[in-house]
Amino acid sequence: MTLWFLRGLRRGVVTTRYPARPDASAAALPTPPAFRPEALTRALADRLAAACPSRALARDGDALVFDVGACTACGRCLAEAPGAATSSGEFELAATLPAHLVKRIPLLAGGGAAAPATEGGSP
Amino acid sequence: MNPLPVLAGAAAAWGLAALIALLGGTSRPAVRACCAVSGLGGAAAVAGGVASLLSGDSRVVTAGGSVVVGTLQLQATSLAGVFVALLGLVAVAIAAYVPRYHEPGRATGLYLAVYNLALLASLAVLAAGNVVTFLVAWETMALLCYLLVLRRPRRAEAAAGAFWFLALSEVGFVLIIAAFVILAAKTHTMQLDLIAARARLVTGGWRDTAFLLALAGFGFKAGLVPLHVWLPEAHPVAPADGSAFLSGLVVKLGVYGIALFGFGLLPAGPAWRGVLTMAAGAVTAAIGILYALGERDIKRFLAFSTIENIGIIVTAFGAAMTFWAYGQRLLWAFLLLAGLYHVANHGTYKTLLFLEAGVIEHATGTRDMDRLGGLAHRMPRASVITFVGTLGIAALPPFNGFVSEWLIFQGLFQGFRTGSHLVAILIVLAAATLGLTGGLAIYAFVRGYGIPFLGMPRTRPAAEATEARQPVAGPALLAVACAALAVGAPVVLAVLARAMRTVTGVALRPELLPGNLTVIPAHTKFSGFSPTWLAVFLLAITALPALIYLAGRPRAASRIEPVWDGGIVAFKPRMQYSAMTFSAPTRVTFDALYRPSVSVRRASDDPAGRSGPVHYESQATPVFQRYLYRPVIRAFEWLADVVRPIQSGDVNLYLFYVFAAVLVAYLIAAV
Amino acid sequence: MTDQRAASRSVPETAAELRRAVTRQFGRSLHIRTLDTGSCAACEQEIRLLAAPHYDLHRLGFFFTPAPRHADLLMVTGPMVRAFDIAARKTYEAMPGPKLVVATGACALGGVYQPDAFTHGGVGETLPVDVWIPGCPPSPLALLQGLLVAVGRLAEKVQDLSFIQNGTPR
Repeated sequence: MTLWFLRGLRRGVVTTRYPARPDASAAALPTPPAFRPEALTRALADRLAAACPSRALARDGDALVFDVGACTACGRCLAEAPGAATSSGEFELAATLPAHLVKRIPLLAGGGAAAPATEGGSP
Repeated sequence: MNPLPVLAGAAAAWGLAALIALLGGTSRPAVRACCAVSGLGGAAAVAGGVASLLSGDSRVVTAGGSVVVGTLQLQATSLAGVFVALLGLVAVAIAAYVPRYHEPGRATGLYLAVYNLALLASLAVLAAGNVVTFLVAWETMALLCYLLVLRRPRRAEAAAGAFWFLALSEVGFVLIIAAFVILAAKTHTMQLDLIAARARLVTGGWRDTAFLLALAGFGFKAGLVPLHVWLPEAHPVAPADGSAFLSGLVVKLGVYGIALFGFGLLPAGPAWRGVLTMAAGAVTAAIGILYALGERDIKRFLAFSTIENIGIIVTAFGAAMTFWAYGQRLLWAFLLLAGLYHVANHGTYKTLLFLEAGVIEHATGTRDMDRLGGLAHRMPRASVITFVGTLGIAALPPFNGFVSEWLIFQGLFQGFRTGSHLVAILIVLAAATLGLTGGLAIYAFVRGYGIPFLGMPRTRPAAEATEARQPVAGPALLAVACAALAVGAPVVLAVLARAMRTVTGVALRPELLPGNLTVIPAHTKFSGFSPTWLAVFLLAITALPALIYLAGRPRAASRIEPVWDGGIVAFKPRMQYSAMTFSAPTRVTFDALYRPSVSVRRASDDPAGRSGPVHYESQATPVFQRYLYRPVIRAFEWLADVVRPIQSGDVNLYLFYVFAAVLVAYLIAAV
Repeated sequence: MTDQRAASRSVPETAAELRRAVTRQFGRSLHIRTLDTGSCAACEQEIRLLAAPHYDLHRLGFFFTPAPRHADLLMVTGPMVRAFDIAARKTYEAMPGPKLVVATGACALGGVYQPDAFTHGGVGETLPVDVWIPGCPPSPLALLQGLLVAVGRLAEKVQDLSFIQNGTPR
């Protein structure tokens, strides 16, 4: 009993200090993607929308509509368009209204119709 | 007040009631008249019983006699007072119950006649002044009760149940005769009060033999284990008021017999006879309640509960006798008083419960707990009355069962006053056994009340039960009596203490009721409590928060929501406990006693059980019948076979017997 | 008109006042009842970790309770299969007011499953949800943030996030 107690004191407290201080493990969490509008063409947006298994992405005219609530952080959009989508690192995503979770990401202005696989290209 | 004329009046009333029933039992007004007269007789008996408690033993009255039966003598004793008062109360309650319970007809007429004569015979047993009266009345009472149980003789199970009753009653009767013969021979008198006065003439070995014969003989009637097997067989087949009479009174006559021998006729005795009685009582109590937990039939359940309570009473008597042997006269009188109080209490609530069992059987058509359920909604009056009886028998404070059991426990806890380590330990063991039975009794009666009355109906007859046209006055009267025995405990104890002064010569009053409504168990510094103040206190602590809530509750709107059920779609009756699953933990723990035999039959060998219904049957082995009675019966059958050649049917052989007998008689006379 | 204003005097008139009322009621002690409406139990695993020493929700004054009668907050996971409608409704109604509902995980928020004959595809149309926590499953940290937002001890962050990344990709 004493040994366990002393060992515990020596190793310190394991409880996280969140929300008072950030938690070290947060960096390793899978998180929803963030997009680069300058890399998002209409064709790419359509491909991303088709790739998402959870129907979190859809193209609405000149914007990519991203439903953060539906995202499962599976990473398929990251694999499809590594230049346009990266992990956002955001995990504090609680929302009081569903509308707060629907994000519109503007597509590349004047982006052509079917521009084939030129991701990661220069603006 | 001289109780004898009052008791004579009661007897006359019952005789008249029997006559009315015999002559006119086929018509409803005649049944009502018979019951009214019977009830009046009961009221007279209550008055007479209380009078004998207060006024002491009456003188012995010779009521005639004949060459055949000898002289009949009657005496109203204080010891019998409680039993007589109980007899009267039971008679009144049943008299109020019968008109709505029995259909008028020839069978009913005969039945009521037999019943009223049985009341008369029971009174004669309690008021017997000499041995012959006692024995004649006892046997008459036993035969009449046999006819009561056998109300519908054409049903096989009725015949079996009644036969067990009669057979064991007769065996007990033989032992009782032997006990009385020893006493009468040694004291040269047949009069009971003279026997008591000359008790020291019955010396050591004879005295103990007589007591043991009486314990066994009356034990058959009272229901001591292992002499109890007739009780669960006879009670279910008798009609409800018959069972009520049997459990409420007739087994108490066995208890009366034990008390008569142990305290009236042979008060002096060694410690071991008290210990033996106490042990028999404790074992009876434990086994009684354990078997009660395995029963689905309400009446068998109540029958075993009767056995349990008889065990408690006999334990108290045994401990009392033990205390006498060590000179503790206060505790001797105290435990006798406590046992008699329990007799009164048990008679009251057990009668109530059996009458209500009859109401349930008539309303639903079944006695099986597992086919009932939800009766509290369909039969509110019956459920309230039964609840009062259940609270009493479960010995919950502040009800009457609690008061008498508390007294018994407090007496047992003072076992250390005997001064003998061994005896003190044995008394403590008896107290522990009674503690176990008390806990099991609460468990059993939660089951006995909860399964039929609470929850949802398990079958259609239970869902459609109605208490219209069911008897309610009789049980209600007993419920009021239970409450009176509880709240009026100081009065009851004062009356019983007065009776103890006559029976034991010990003035118990100052050591029992020191005033201000408190009760102390014979020794002031030991403990004490007040049943009356406890009742008031319990009422206050339940009423007070309720009043505070009602006065100060927020006036905001409140929602009434259904009970949280885990979110299921709907409750189904099969989701409830059944009677057998509720008591399964006990049957598993004590399976060495029950020795259940389990049989499982499947339609096919599909291990997943998809093949069809699975038949599961579990039955407790009837250990007493199998290991005790059947061998004895077989031994007698063997003996009968051995002796059979004597009755060969040959006339010449019979003539030889006559000749031989005459020859032997001449030789003896000559010598 | 006067009656309505008189009646509304007890009702907080601004969102901020409502937030303060919620915090006053639940901020220091909150009892959570979890409800699984057909999830894969990954959310349940994360919720279970909240009680473990690393995340320890008890230090924040949150407790789990199985009884809806004792619960202040209903934490719902799963896409609300139709077979669970009655149970979910009964659980919600068995909770005494005031109460909160938190929808947890992508399934409950409308992702993963489409509405069809067997599932609603999300809990929004069956229960009145106060806070939505995305994730699949949401990590215990996200759950803690969601609970603290629900009781008003943390401000909501996601409405200010754009999920637009400027500059070179990481």
